[in-house]
Amino acid sequence: MEIVLGPYEYVVWLACTLLEIAVLVCAFKKDALRRYILLNVYMAASVLVSIARYNILSHYGFTSKEYLYFYYYSDSLLTIALYFALVSLYSHIFADLKAERYIRLGTVLLLSGTALFSYAVVQQFSSKLVTHFVVELSQNLYFVGLVLTYILWAAVLKMRETRTRLIQLVLSMGVYFSLFAANFALQNLYQSRGAFFEVLTPLFGCFLPLSWAYTFWQVPEEARTVPSQLAVVPR
Amino acid sequence: MSRKLTVVLLAMLVLVGAMSLKTVVVTHGDGSVIMANGGAPQPPTPWKNGGAPQPPTPWKNGGAPQPPTPWK
Repeated sequence: MEIVLGPYEYVVWLACTLLEIAVLVCAFKKDALRRYILLNVYMAASVLVSIARYNILSHYGFTSKEYLYFYYYSDSLLTIALYFALVSLYSHIFADLKAERYIRLGTVLLLSGTALFSYAVVQQFSSKLVTHFVVELSQNLYFVGLVLTYILWAAVLKMRETRTRLIQLVLSMGVYFSLFAANFALQNLYQSRGAFFEVLTPLFGCFLPLSWAYTFWQVPEEARTVPSQLAVVPR
Repeated sequence: MSRKLTVVLLAMLVLVGAMSLKTVVVTHGDGSVIMANGGAPQPPTPWKNGGAPQPPTPWKNGGAPQPPTPWK
């Protein structure tokens, strides 16, 4: 059966791509392009992948193998880029401790461990091993990113980090990962209402570029916040 | 040396935590999302980057209905 994409999918996709471009523009205008270089590399890669995906989709169609393979392989690369962007936030938070070397070691170890684990999971498949591996690595890395973001937020609170822009970036990453995880879990839990959660998924994809664009545009690098005040519930 | 070992331990802890979390999240799934071999409609994946629509799983061969699992 031919699957036809409706205007909703195209509009959300376009909005998401425009927001990703907005992140780059805002970062450039506010001198945050080099300071948060890996975050911006991730956004630039997202824009390029979106354009390439649209080209392939319009040439070969939604159900074509070309689009299908390109989608999953590019998604895996984007997840790896997002992982490095997240690790770069660790470097910012732990900059005073001179822990750059240990962060690099941890990053490589964690990525290698995730790749090994993914391979161990998919090695039972005799056909399309690489594709299985790529998708498995992508989703495992996603959950690693989710846990790393929670740990980073705990570190922000513990170390009394006050840079508002950094706090906003960490929080937006946490909300982004959590939104997808929650949506995925609820979709599995309430499978009869899967269509509702399917509508939400592309919208959640817009959250990260929206929040990053807002952060770069509205929050100056010098702005300071006390994060413990964000976490404490007033009595 | 002990600092390096601490980093190794932390990396392993994060990996275990992440895989445990993944297990919890997909607990109620029918398994078709991650190792999708079935003919059931595919739900969207949570690791999707950007707003591009998601195609069917790449390892699904043909449109034939899925037989019951051999160990059932």
